[in-house]
Amino acid sequence: MNLADPKSLVEYAATLDCIHCGLCLRTCPTFQLTGNEASSPRGRIYLMRGVAEGEVAGDDPVYHEELEFCLVCRHCESVCPAGVRFGEMMEIARDRSAHTAKRPLLETLARRIGFDVVLPNRALMRLAMSLLGFAQRSGVLARVAPLFGARKDALLALPAVPPTSEREPLGLRSPARVLERGEVTVLEGCVMPELFGRVNRATVETLGAIGFTTRACGTHACCGALHAHNGELEGARSLAKTTIAAFDGVADQGGEPLPIIVNSAGCGAHMKEYGRLLADDPAWRERASAFSARVHDFSEFVAAHAPPDWKPSVDASDGARAFGRVAYDDPCHLCHGQQIRKQPRELLARVAGLECVELANAEQCCGSAGIYSMLRPADSNAVFEPKLAALDESRADTLVTANPGCQMQWQSGIERAGRNVRVVHLAELLAEASRAK
Amino acid sequence: MEAAWIAELRAVVGERGIVDDATRLFAYEADGIVLLRQRPDLVLLPRTTDEVSRALAILHRERIPIVARGAGTGLSGGATPVAGGVVLSLARMRDVLELDPVDRIARVQAGLVNIDLSLAAAKHGLFYAPDPSSQQACTLGGNVAENSGGPHCFRHGATTQHVLGLVLVLEDGTVLDLSEPRVDPLGLDLVGLFVGSEGMFGVATELTLKLTKKPATVETLLAIFESLDAACDAVSDLIRARHEPSAIEILDRLTIEAVEASVYAAGYPKTAEAVLLVDVEGSEVEVENSVRAIEPLIRARGAIEVRVAKSDYERKQLWAGRKGAFGAMGRIAPDLYVADVCVPRTKLREVVAHTTRIAREKNLKLATVFHAGDGNLHPNIAYDRRDADEVRRVLEAGDEIMHLCIAAGGSLTGEHGVGLEKLPAMEWLFTREDLATMCRVREAWDPDRRMNPGKLIPMRACLETKQALARPEHLT
Ligand SMILES: Cc1cc2nc3c(=O)[nH]c(=O)nc-3n(C[C@H](O)[C@H](O)[C@H](O)COP(=O)(O)OP(=O)(O)OC[C@H]3O[C@@H](n4cnc5c(N)ncnc54)[C@H](O)[C@@H]3O)c2cc1C
Ligand code: SF4
Ligand code: SF4
Repeated sequence: MNLADPKSLVEYAATLDCIHCGLCLRTCPTFQLTGNEASSPRGRIYLMRGVAEGEVAGDDPVYHEELEFCLVCRHCESVCPAGVRFGEMMEIARDRSAHTAKRPLLETLARRIGFDVVLPNRALMRLAMSLLGFAQRSGVLARVAPLFGARKDALLALPAVPPTSEREPLGLRSPARVLERGEVTVLEGCVMPELFGRVNRATVETLGAIGFTTRACGTHACCGALHAHNGELEGARSLAKTTIAAFDGVADQGGEPLPIIVNSAGCGAHMKEYGRLLADDPAWRERASAFSARVHDFSEFVAAHAPPDWKPSVDASDGARAFGRVAYDDPCHLCHGQQIRKQPRELLARVAGLECVELANAEQCCGSAGIYSMLRPADSNAVFEPKLAALDESRADTLVTANPGCQMQWQSGIERAGRNVRVVHLAELLAEASRAK
Repeated sequence: MEAAWIAELRAVVGERGIVDDATRLFAYEADGIVLLRQRPDLVLLPRTTDEVSRALAILHRERIPIVARGAGTGLSGGATPVAGGVVLSLARMRDVLELDPVDRIARVQAGLVNIDLSLAAAKHGLFYAPDPSSQQACTLGGNVAENSGGPHCFRHGATTQHVLGLVLVLEDGTVLDLSEPRVDPLGLDLVGLFVGSEGMFGVATELTLKLTKKPATVETLLAIFESLDAACDAVSDLIRARHEPSAIEILDRLTIEAVEASVYAAGYPKTAEAVLLVDVEGSEVEVENSVRAIEPLIRARGAIEVRVAKSDYERKQLWAGRKGAFGAMGRIAPDLYVADVCVPRTKLREVVAHTTRIAREKNLKLATVFHAGDGNLHPNIAYDRRDADEVRRVLEAGDEIMHLCIAAGGSLTGEHGVGLEKLPAMEWLFTREDLATMCRVREAWDPDRRMNPGKLIPMRACLETKQALARPEHLT
C-alpha cells in the first residue's frame, strides 16, 4: 500500500460514522486495562481518521501497536449508536498497515508459514499437531518453550493433543438418529478436528438427535477468519473462494447446496460476511452473498429447528454430578458479531435437570480472540482476570461456551488458577443430554 | 533527553500512568465536540488521591496548565486542553470505596462510570438517581464538574442534590477533605460551590454520593403524535395539572428515524412526527392513579396512540432508544452540534418552532430531543466538520438559538456546561460585574488560573478585574 496516499491505508468513509460520543469506552477490554483513550474504540477510530487526514503517519509504530493491541472482540459495535462497523475497519486497517509497518524477520516468517502454509492445509495441520503432541508427551515442549520468551506460557497452556484415534475427520454421512427432517453440512475447521474433534462429533450427534443428517465437506480446512482478523485480507479472500467452492458442492438431491452449520463463533461471523469480503469481485459477489445466507451458528440452527418432542435431559443423579450449576459465557463473535444471545440460553433452559446461572460480565471478552492469546499472552491473561472473578462469583460448576477458542482460554485459565470447574462446548452438553438414558 | 519534571511525574504515576507520545496524545484532542481541538503535551493517569496531589504539586512548581478529564463525553469542550499542558485523566480511578446500604451512601473514586455505581447498588435495591444519557460512559467526577442532569432528574434533581461530600486536590497539590460530616453543610458550602465548576476549582478525586431507593413500581408511557407542537402542548398540560412524572422526554421525527436505524431501536413508530416518553414511579396505587389521570390528558392533545410498556424489557428498550439518540445521529452526518438551552416550559412550543425555522433558513439538518419536563431542549444539528461553510452556518445557528432562548427568559445551558463552546455567550447573559465576581471566586481557588484555563468565564472579564485590582484608581 501507498504511504503517499494515506486515505488508502484505512477505510476512511467508515471512520466518519463515528460521532465521538464515547459510549463505547467502558466496554472495551483494552481501555479497561489501561485507561488510555488511544486504546479505546473511539481512540483507535480517531487515529485511523488521523492517518487518512495526514495527522498521524501511516507507518507510525504507536498507531500500529494500538491496532495490534485490539482484540477485535467487536463489543464496541454492540454499544455504538452510530452503527460504526469497527470489525471491518480494523481488518482493513491491519491489512494495510501490515504492509507499511516493519515486522521482525522471524515474525514475518512465522506468519507466512502459519497463514499461507499450515492453516489452509489439513494434512500439514495434522502433521503440525502430531509434532506438538509428541513434544507435549515427551517433555520436549517443556524444554524448548523458554526459547519463545513471552510466549512460553501460552505454548505450555495449549491443550494436550488428543490421540490419533480422536483426530479422525467426520464420516462422510452421519444419518439422523430420529425421523430425518433434512440434511446439513458442517464446517469442521482447521484446528478443530485436531484439538476439538469431540466438539465436532458432538455437533453432528446433536444435529442427528433433532433429525438432521450431516454430510461432511471432504478435505476443506480453513475459512480464513484468522487471516481476516489479523490483516491478511488477500489470504482471506482466496480462502473464502475455496470455501465457497467446496461447500457449494455439498448439495441435496435437488442440487440445492445444504445449510452450513458452524460451531466456532469466529468462523461463523466471518463466513456470514463473505458477501462483503468479496463485494469488489464481480465474479464472486453474488455467489458469496448466497453462501453467507446459508451459514448458521450451531445454536441458532438447533434453536430454530429442534422439534417440540426433543427433550434433552441430564439425569438428576448422574447429570447433576456431571454439570452441576451451569453458566453460559457469550463468545464475542456470537453475541457482538452475530447478535446471537438468546438461542444458547434457550437451549440450556430446555435441558431438564440443569441449573443455569448468569455470568455477570458474560458479553465481555475472555481474551482468547483467535490467535491473540498466542500473540500477546500477557494482555490476554489480563483480559481474562475479570472473567475468572465473575465465574467465582457465579459459583458455577460448569462453564459453557460456544466457541472452541474461548473453550481453550477458559480451560487453561481455570487450570492456572486451580479452580475445579468443567468447561464444555454447548454442543457437547446438548449431545450428552440428548443421549438415550 | 526528557525534562526533569516529566521524569518526576513518571516516578509518581508509574510507567503505565503516563502518556507522552504524540500519537496517543492525539486521541486526547477533543471531548464529545470535535470541532474544538487541541493536543495536550502530556496525559497523566494517576490511581490515588495521593498520586494526584504529588503530581499537582510538581505542576504547580512548573506553572503548567492542568485539565481534568473523565470520559471525555462532555459536549462543550470542557475537557479540551485549549492552552496545552497536562491532561489529568481519572480513567484509572474507578473503585467503589464504600457502599453503605443502610445510610444509602456510596464513597467512590471520581473516575467511576455513572452506570457502574447503579449496578453496584442494585443488589441492595438502590440506585444512583442522576442518569445522563451518557451514563454508560461518563464518569461521576465529570458529572460533578458539570452538575449533569438526565431524564429522571425531573423528579430526583440534578447531580448537585446527590453530592454529600468530596475529596479535592487543589492546584498546588493541597488535599481538601470535604467528605465529613455527611449531613447538611456547615459554614460556607464548599461542596455546593465545587459542583458545576467545570474543572476550574481543582480535581475531585473521591465523591460521597447519595443513593436512592428503587421505586416499588414504574410505568413507562409512550405517546405518539402527528405534530411536535401537540407534544409540547401535552407537556404544558401535564405540568399545569400538577402531575409529577419522574421523566418527560420528547423526540422528534428525524431523531426517531436515527434511533430506529441503530442498535438501540426501541420500536418508536417511524411515521410519527414526535413521541413523548413519560415515566411514572411510586407505589403501585400511586402509579396506577397517575397513569389513569395522565393518559386522557395526553390523548386530549391529539396523541394518536398511547402505549404503556408491557414488560421491564420493553421499558428498558424505550429508554435505551432515548439514551442512544445523540450517537444515533452519527448515521446522518459525521458530526453533531448539540445545543443545550433552557427555556420556561410554557415557551417550549414557541422556541421549538423558532429553532426549526432557523435551521431551515440555514439549510441545516436539525433533530430535536428534549428533557421537556425541565424545559431543557437539545436542538441537534448534524453536519460535517470538513465543510467550512456548513460549520459557519452551524455556529451561527447555535448563536441564534442561544439568543432566542435568552430573549425567552431562558439560559445558555441546561446541563452540558459552558466550557469552551459557549464562552463568548456568557457576555450576552451576564454583566461585567457578574463575570468579575465569578472571576474572583475562581481565583480564590486557583490564583494563577492554571486549572482548565480558557473555559467558562471569558478571559476578558478576568483580566479586567485583575487590572482593576492592581490599579485601584481605575475603579469607577
Ligand atoms: C451521548 C451523550 C449524551 C449526553 N447526555 C447528557 C445528559 O443527558 N445530561 C447531561 O447533563 N450531560 C449529558 N452529556 C454530556 C456529558 O456526558 C456530561 O457532561 C458528563 O458529565 C461528562 O462526564 P465526563 O466524565 O465525560 O467528563 P469530561 O467530558 O471528561 O469532562 C467534563 C468537564 O468536567 C471536568 N472534570 C472531569 N472530571 C473531573 C474531576 N474529577 N474533577 C474536576 N473536574 C473534572 C473536565 O475538566 C471538564 O471540564 C451527554 C454526552 C453525550 C456524549
Ligand atoms: S460509540 Fe460509536 S460513535 Fe460513539 S465514540 Fe464509540 S465508535 Fe464512535
Ligand atoms: S474490538 Fe474490542 S478491543 Fe477492539 S476496540 Fe472494540 S471493544 Fe476494544
